[in-house]
Amino acid sequence: MYGENESTEQTSLAGFDPASSDDPRALFEELRKQPVLQIGPGFAALTRRHDIEAALRNPALFSSREEAVKLGNVRPLIPLQIDPPKHVKYRRILDPLFAPRQMAALEGEIVELVDDLMGKFVGRGECDFHEELAVPLPCTVFLRLMGLPLGDLELFLSLKEGIIRPPGATMEEQEPERKRTADAIYAYFGDLVDERRAKPGDDLLTRIMGSEVDGEQLTKEEVLDVCFLFLIAGLDTVTDSLDCFFAHLAQHPEHRRQIVEDPGVISSSVEELLRWESPVPGIARVALEDTEVGGCPVHAGDNVFLLLGSANTDYEAMPGADVVDLRRNPNPHLAFGGGVHRCLGSHLARVELRVVLREFHKRIPEYSLAPGTVLEYTPGLRSVSRLPLVFSPVAEFVG
Amino acid sequence: MRVILDPERCQGHGRCYTLTPELFEPDDLGHCVVLPLAKDVPPELREAALSGVANCPEQALSVEE
Repeated sequence: MYGENESTEQTSLAGFDPASSDDPRALFEELRKQPVLQIGPGFAALTRRHDIEAALRNPALFSSREEAVKLGNVRPLIPLQIDPPKHVKYRRILDPLFAPRQMAALEGEIVELVDDLMGKFVGRGECDFHEELAVPLPCTVFLRLMGLPLGDLELFLSLKEGIIRPPGATMEEQEPERKRTADAIYAYFGDLVDERRAKPGDDLLTRIMGSEVDGEQLTKEEVLDVCFLFLIAGLDTVTDSLDCFFAHLAQHPEHRRQIVEDPGVISSSVEELLRWESPVPGIARVALEDTEVGGCPVHAGDNVFLLLGSANTDYEAMPGADVVDLRRNPNPHLAFGGGVHRCLGSHLARVELRVVLREFHKRIPEYSLAPGTVLEYTPGLRSVSRLPLVFSPVAEFVG
Repeated sequence: MRVILDPERCQGHGRCYTLTPELFEPDDLGHCVVLPLAKDVPPELREAALSGVANCPEQALSVEE
């Protein structure tokens, strides 16, 4: 159906974007009829689990280098846009800082942040979950980790949006805003690196600057390229996940009740909702050589989008993947990607997602979408622009 | 039953040691370390071992009887 010769299909796919679909699962199911979807000239997407896994594990063929995705940066983002063997050097520095144990130690602090944010709306009986929790939480966590003033929250949010969702309908129209934002990001972190060099702190940035591999520290430019990536990859994706999770739970009371009645199901619920919603629906690669996927040609230089959301719901490869089961086991999903570029922040994301599921349902076990709400999922990364929830106001006794 | 790790495939997703800490633990990078007990899995941990293995998105773990 999505073959190369069917021009009407091609046209309708010009605006191809599973992220903004109300039901990406149905779209993915349709797309999987072909292993390779031709989105446009030099732009293809892989649709099936096995092919996507193979591509993730073959960075020499499907490279994550700069050409794969344009984000306003002037040098490759580290470590995303660096392939092996150099990639290993950066992950050796960064992985220990984001390892599960380090992230687990942040849990108490994250609980407090969630409590504070919820405190602003529990008594009101309604909230915009996106605006009041999903957006500020990951950004605040990041500011704390980096030892930055909480007053920089709005600035950070605008920098992130300027790269991910600049105004304009096409990449060309968006280019000037992306460029301006990128300059601002380099300048902000440039000053910050100088500041920390003069006066080291007890924060993530200081630790990154002080880390050594083979007796060498990162250069200032390398540190900036790490910070740039943190800002655009680390904040929005947790917002997207929270939006997707709570949009699902608000519309599926049977799943919400399961979490309320048995908090023991929260860990597996995080994995299952990540799989089902795939808040990052796809990731970008560039083919370095001519090759074939499922018998379809992919050409050197083609931009190849790996549809993680489709891999995660490919029931041919993963039996039962077409339903939500909060206790699913096994659940070897690819929501954080796979291969050498597996999401660096995945363990931090998991802590944030678990804490919100637990704390929110403790205080607000019953909620639903505000009547008349039509959910709008954003293109690219799957956030929900407005997520108004209604619930019984909770009386709070402040001692 | 014995659990085998392909360290080249492990990317530190951390599903194994989160689900089955009796048999796996993270190293400093968050990659999998197979504990000695996993060389000869006691019967009461068989199911937990299989769960840890089957949840790896990289198929870095396998079992041998």
